[in-house]
Amino acid sequence: MLSYLVTRLAQAVVVVFAMSVIVFVGVFAIGNPIDVMIDPGATQEIRQQMIEKYGFDQPLYVQYWTFLENVFQGDMGTSLVYNIPVIELVFSRFPATLELVLVAVGIAAVIGIPAGLWAGYRPESKSAKLIMALSVLGFSVPTFWIGMLLIMGFAVELGVLPSGGRGDVGSFLGISTSLATADGWSHIILPAINLSLFKMGLLIRLTRAGMVEAMSMDYVRFARAQGLPDNQIVFSHILRNISIPIVTVFGLELGSTLAFAVVTESVFTWPGVGKLIIDSIMQLDRPVMVSYLVLVVILFVFINLAVDLIYAWLDPRVRLKGGA
Amino acid sequence: MKNTLKCAVAAVALLVSAPTVFAADLVIGVRAGPDSIDPHWSTLGTQAEALHYVYDTLVDVDAKLQLKPGLALSWAAVADTTWEFKLREGVKFHDGTPFTAEDAKFSIDRIPHVTGPNPMTLYTKYVDRVEVIDDYTLHVHTNGIAPSLPNDFTRLFVIPSETGMDARNAEFNSGEKAVGTGPYTFVSWQPKGDLVLKRNDGYWAGETHWENVVRREIADDAARVAALRSGQVDMINYVPAADYLAMKNDSDVETFVGDSVYILNIAPNVKDVEPQPIKVNGVEVEGNPLQDIRVRKALDLAINREILVKIVLEGLGTPANQLMPKGFFGYSENIPAASYDIKQAKALLAEAGYPEGFEIDFTCTNNRVPGDSVVCEALAQMWSRLGLKVNAQALNGTVFFPADARGEYTMSMSAWGTITGEAAYTYGALTHSRNDELGFGNFNRTGYASEEFDKVFQQGTQTLDPEARRPLYERASEIAMEDRAQIPTITLQFVSAAKANLLSYEPRVDQEIRAYEISPAK
Repeated sequence: MLSYLVTRLAQAVVVVFAMSVIVFVGVFAIGNPIDVMIDPGATQEIRQQMIEKYGFDQPLYVQYWTFLENVFQGDMGTSLVYNIPVIELVFSRFPATLELVLVAVGIAAVIGIPAGLWAGYRPESKSAKLIMALSVLGFSVPTFWIGMLLIMGFAVELGVLPSGGRGDVGSFLGISTSLATADGWSHIILPAINLSLFKMGLLIRLTRAGMVEAMSMDYVRFARAQGLPDNQIVFSHILRNISIPIVTVFGLELGSTLAFAVVTESVFTWPGVGKLIIDSIMQLDRPVMVSYLVLVVILFVFINLAVDLIYAWLDPRVRLKGGA
Repeated sequence: MKNTLKCAVAAVALLVSAPTVFAADLVIGVRAGPDSIDPHWSTLGTQAEALHYVYDTLVDVDAKLQLKPGLALSWAAVADTTWEFKLREGVKFHDGTPFTAEDAKFSIDRIPHVTGPNPMTLYTKYVDRVEVIDDYTLHVHTNGIAPSLPNDFTRLFVIPSETGMDARNAEFNSGEKAVGTGPYTFVSWQPKGDLVLKRNDGYWAGETHWENVVRREIADDAARVAALRSGQVDMINYVPAADYLAMKNDSDVETFVGDSVYILNIAPNVKDVEPQPIKVNGVEVEGNPLQDIRVRKALDLAINREILVKIVLEGLGTPANQLMPKGFFGYSENIPAASYDIKQAKALLAEAGYPEGFEIDFTCTNNRVPGDSVVCEALAQMWSRLGLKVNAQALNGTVFFPADARGEYTMSMSAWGTITGEAAYTYGALTHSRNDELGFGNFNRTGYASEEFDKVFQQGTQTLDPEARRPLYERASEIAMEDRAQIPTITLQFVSAAKANLLSYEPRVDQEIRAYEISPAK
């Protein structure tokens, strides 16, 4: 178990380094951030001063080395655009994304898994066919468009929910979150539904596929022959057996949604990190890009770790070995 | 029982109506907000727009970007290299301390210490030193003759000298140091979020109508429109052309169309060797065809600007015949309106030795201003009628500008805004030949160099008397346009919108929405 954790951490460190090198090389290849930001009226002298001030005149390896030195002193850098430490900047917006994603993933799981189970349990029924048809819509219709439809319907025409923003932020167990206020919930519900649709479609199809396959398995037949009631078979035997692919996909989706919920965040003006990272890329704000992507890597590593641990718990045959 | 029910209904009604703002409040949905509350951090237009609420500048500008008194009542050159500013008396900062010349001096001196990667030193580059004569008189000594100093000071925000040189962005963003003399006091701000402002009741220029103003950053065009339609915001800027057409027929919404400072200019590279080869029948041509003025004129004549405005931009623009909008300092009335004449264009091209046309790369921005990418495509089609094969490519500004700075484009198009309202800003950067010593031509990527233009323009920059300077800049405009140093196409118009019957608003040419200049609807 310990060697497993150590290997995992070592892998994470390698990925983090690779990521930071890619960002540095990428920004260097595109060009000088000063040329993107500077006012066109600035003289050559002023431009040169700025390039020197931020070290963009140095060779790439020197710039990267300076970055590494600072990181080892605990300094991830300061945003070029905002002049705020990037850690502070990213974490000032991360809670908003986290709460949105958790609600979205929650909705997807609470609706998607039971719907998928039902569709797999009675695959020939009309309701199952309807569920499957809707699930196709869930991941084939663009998020952006559904977002606009939700806004037009609920905010503009009916006027029952706000069209965007985070609403009032309350405090719950010392964490400031919009989930602690009614106004916050009214703001989060539309973007969360919007964000959940793709995941919901995915979970429905995945669960149904597992369910259909499991229903014809010997252990299910034996359980039936034993006279066990169907709901016990489904919930204590089948669900546990088909959980591994669901947990895997769920984990990956959780990570990628946290990292890149940008479309929904833009449409609903949600003050999360997605918008921040896109703008940072547009302005070549390298410190923000590097720190954010490093954070994403760490996040994925932790989610994968959690997924692996859940595997071991779901299926005792899975052993966690170093290098897994 | 009935009463209880009534109470309940009233309570519900109260709950439901709670989020709607009171009459004297204004929530504005803006495409972009500030990067910092430190007024000396960046020259970005959206930054200046937001900070104008909190801080005043020495010199202000009217809706057409022409100078008007701000914290300075008057200004005059008292010697070749000395400007005297007479300051307004009786002005107080939000914390109650009176405004004096020391504060203005401090604000000028602070800029080089704190400014960021989009540096404000641009506006203090002529300042040699600042001298306080008395509490309300300031002398600015310049290095060399600097006629445009008052224009530079239109973005010079004044903060109290007690702020100290050590204060940085964080202290301003938190509100601790966000103290100005402006019409609104700072309440709070989040990067990419809301800027919340409260009316400054003792404002020197008189009180404004709106008690609380929120500037909410909604970068997505469709989301901003939805926020207005759902009543979450009272007013928005930069309405997309498609929504503008729908809004015109909507009685709940009022639209405001205004000219902008932005002109889409084509920049033909006239260096001896063009960076992306120009070809005839797949063979690279000798020399650079764009060096021939007949070719540049042919390109110009082949552009149908009426079509660009009416069809491509949904009516949101006006044909441009020079690099600045009408009414700006240096705009020449003598330049004829741009005309469309494909026959003459073809004749000119044949005369220049390209009867069959040629193949050329054409690169544009696609996200800097509304309409840049569609105009780009339309231009390529118009030139193909001239017989050219145009490889048009519209790129993100993040990619375009660094490559443009490296001089990689043979012909490009981007928007240029004369944000100071006068010619020195535009010609000094765009059309003067590249001269690092004098600080001119930094944005001249085409290699255009005209001795005549440089001479007239430089003479203008050495002429303090505005009435003597104006004809020189007008002459410079005429030379640059006769040479087709750049080919202007369209002056863009932008649209803002508000709830119907809420306010009366005159769009400004710099696109700023200044709540303190907006009155309620009559």
